Amino acid sequence: MTSRMLGIGFLSPAIIAASIFFLLPVLLTVMFAFTNMSTSTGIMGGDYRINTEQLRSVGETGISAESVEKLETAGFQITETGLAALADQFDEKVADELREDFLGESFAARRDLERVLRQLDDPIRKTRDRKAAADLFAVTIVGERFDTEEQFRAALSDTGINPADHDVLAEFAYTGWTWTTDNFKLLMELPSTVRFATNTAFYVVCTLTFNIIFGLFLAISTFYLPGKYANTFRAIWFLPRILPPVLYVLMWNWFTWDNGFIATVTGWFGVPPQNWMMQTAPRAWTVIILINGFVGASLGMILFSSAIKAIPSSMLYASEVDGANRWQQVRYIILPQMRWPILFMTSYQTLSLLTSFEYILLATDGGPGRTTEVWALAAYHTALNNYGGNLQYGLGAAYALALVFIGIALSVLYLRFFNFKELLAKPRIEQ
Amino acid sequence: MKLRLENFTKRFGALTVIEEMDLTVESGEMMALLGPSGCGKSTTLFAVCGIHKMSGGKLYFGDSDVTTLPAQERSVGVVFQNYALYPHMTVEQNIGFPLKVQRMSKSNIRAEVERLADLVQIGELLDRRPAQLSGGQQQRVALARAMIRKPDVLLLDEPLANLDAKLRLEMRSEIRRIQRETGITAILVTHDQVEAMSMCDRIALMRDGKIVQLDTPEQMYNNPRSQFVAGFLGNPPISFLPAMAGDVLSFGQGQTLARPPALEASGDVIVGIRPEHFGPQHGTGLRGEVTFVEPQGREELIDVRLDGGGEIRSILPAGEPVRVGQRIDWGVATESILAFGKNGDRL
Repeated sequence: MTSRMLGIGFLSPAIIAASIFFLLPVLLTVMFAFTNMSTSTGIMGGDYRINTEQLRSVGETGISAESVEKLETAGFQITETGLAALADQFDEKVADELREDFLGESFAARRDLERVLRQLDDPIRKTRDRKAAADLFAVTIVGERFDTEEQFRAALSDTGINPADHDVLAEFAYTGWTWTTDNFKLLMELPSTVRFATNTAFYVVCTLTFNIIFGLFLAISTFYLPGKYANTFRAIWFLPRILPPVLYVLMWNWFTWDNGFIATVTGWFGVPPQNWMMQTAPRAWTVIILINGFVGASLGMILFSSAIKAIPSSMLYASEVDGANRWQQVRYIILPQMRWPILFMTSYQTLSLLTSFEYILLATDGGPGRTTEVWALAAYHTALNNYGGNLQYGLGAAYALALVFIGIALSVLYLRFFNFKELLAKPRIEQ
Repeated sequence: MKLRLENFTKRFGALTVIEEMDLTVESGEMMALLGPSGCGKSTTLFAVCGIHKMSGGKLYFGDSDVTTLPAQERSVGVVFQNYALYPHMTVEQNIGFPLKVQRMSKSNIRAEVERLADLVQIGELLDRRPAQLSGGQQQRVALARAMIRKPDVLLLDEPLANLDAKLRLEMRSEIRRIQRETGITAILVTHDQVEAMSMCDRIALMRDGKIVQLDTPEQMYNNPRSQFVAGFLGNPPISFLPAMAGDVLSFGQGQTLARPPALEASGDVIVGIRPEHFGPQHGTGLRGEVTFVEPQGREELIDVRLDGGGEIRSILPAGEPVRVGQRIDWGVATESILAFGKNGDRL
């Protein structure tokens, strides 16, 4: 019993770390994905209001035309507040007269109230003034803020809007976030979803292929180099991984932009200066795959190098005395024994490439246009950083959630397909 | 095919491991390179097969100079100590690999593999992988793979070191049988003198990068050129005793033995007596006390401390009533006594 407690005690830092850095973000992502949170809703609660801009779209909610009319025209009522304002801005006599004859009276339309104002003993003569004066008595809820739903509904009743439309209007007027599954419907409908998915698949497949093949090439070629040179080469190829991403991408910018290295060199041959990274989509893809590919290849190089070194030297000697040349040695002896490292790199890199977007963000930011916008970058742009300024946390979380599910599904697939148990079994040291 | 090393020198950086070594292995002969670890025997083997480059000297297979040929172009078969089988290939693929890299047709490879599998008697294991084989079976596969190209020379690097005692006996005679049947020229590298003596036509005993004696096993055992050779061969090993050679050999405290007829020197010498040449069957002569008895089933090893100091070993058939602490007075086969000078050379 005590030893079990001790085990849990030793595990607890890992459990806590996994909970905070993995489980909690996933849970929050799931939660956000089912809300319509955005910059305009905020992440706290909201209030109830319909402003003049929204009047244009209120008709689309399906409420009756009469209610729309009522909201728009709102109606006019002679109240003490209105009269005080009138006395203040126009004439006290007009106000007094209006109070005597019409206090408490309502008018459905502005022109009715305007007619009254014209027909007073002491009328307001200018049309513009009459309009302004009439507005002082408007009893609309448009532009007004209500803290609770009850207050808003009461105001709706005062305006005389059909109670059948209250529910719809309350929802329409709510400025906070609500629970919804609309994000997923939207994801299914948006044409850009397909675009991002295709981009992501293209990016992952190309970068992965480059990673593995170039990593293998580096590992095998440095294996045959004398030790001193091999280490120098490995160190150089490891630079992309240990450089800070910002610095690394900055160097690519110097290399590819219209005043950069390629443009300068090609300029000597009469090629007009151009941005070799962003000019066209194929160029942008090439640069992105190279940027990510070199980072991944350096990891592959290290992993594959150590795997090659783990092959007993006698086995390589044996293949030499068996008559195998370098190429045959690579083809028949080294590569077949690299199966596990290659499978591991494939699965590990697929998962990390699916979710990583920092190099793309720094290099092309999804451009030109949105041609290099991958799924993870789309999630980031939607939720955390975009030109429109309305950050859609909920929709972004839905993007991210889809990625979480794809990642889990792929992990399970890899675990089954590649039989990781065998990979993790006791190592077979040289028999 | 005859193999000839001339003035072979091997250096690793500043360290000279082998200097100016000459060695000739006759066609069809099995030669042992025997010596303690670090003596340069494996280095010699790796130089012969071309894995290590020679720092100096020449290597001939028959009449052709192969000194500068890479391993791929030399016709050698090697059995490595750990067999170095390719774990991802079946037995058939392992054996056929040297032919596959020569781009021989599949049917020809298959026929050759079957011929070799019959020779080393593993015909029923062709579909297995190395991990599914016992040590002895792996050994046979390695042997078949080394032989399939019909190499000029077969090199065996400690081939029995990883086998248990019983398998070692079996494979010892198997390797010898296969070598005799094919008539291939072979070099066996080993630190085990029993292996060297039982399997090979001649033994080259090496020490510190030099061949100290090259002889048949019988000659080397009975007629060693130095104290080192005498001490290296024989199990249980020979006993060395300091003695004074005058009219007789005296060992102190009045113990004496007759001079061996071949001994001409006199003065301080070191006398080597093999265990089988000391015992009650040889009469009397040396007195002492039994300090240790090690039964080995058919035989018993007996350690004796002589009265004048010095340890001497005897091997007797089991059943002799010898106990620890017993006083004995046993004789020596004087004609078999080996005498060495202070510098270790045979007198």
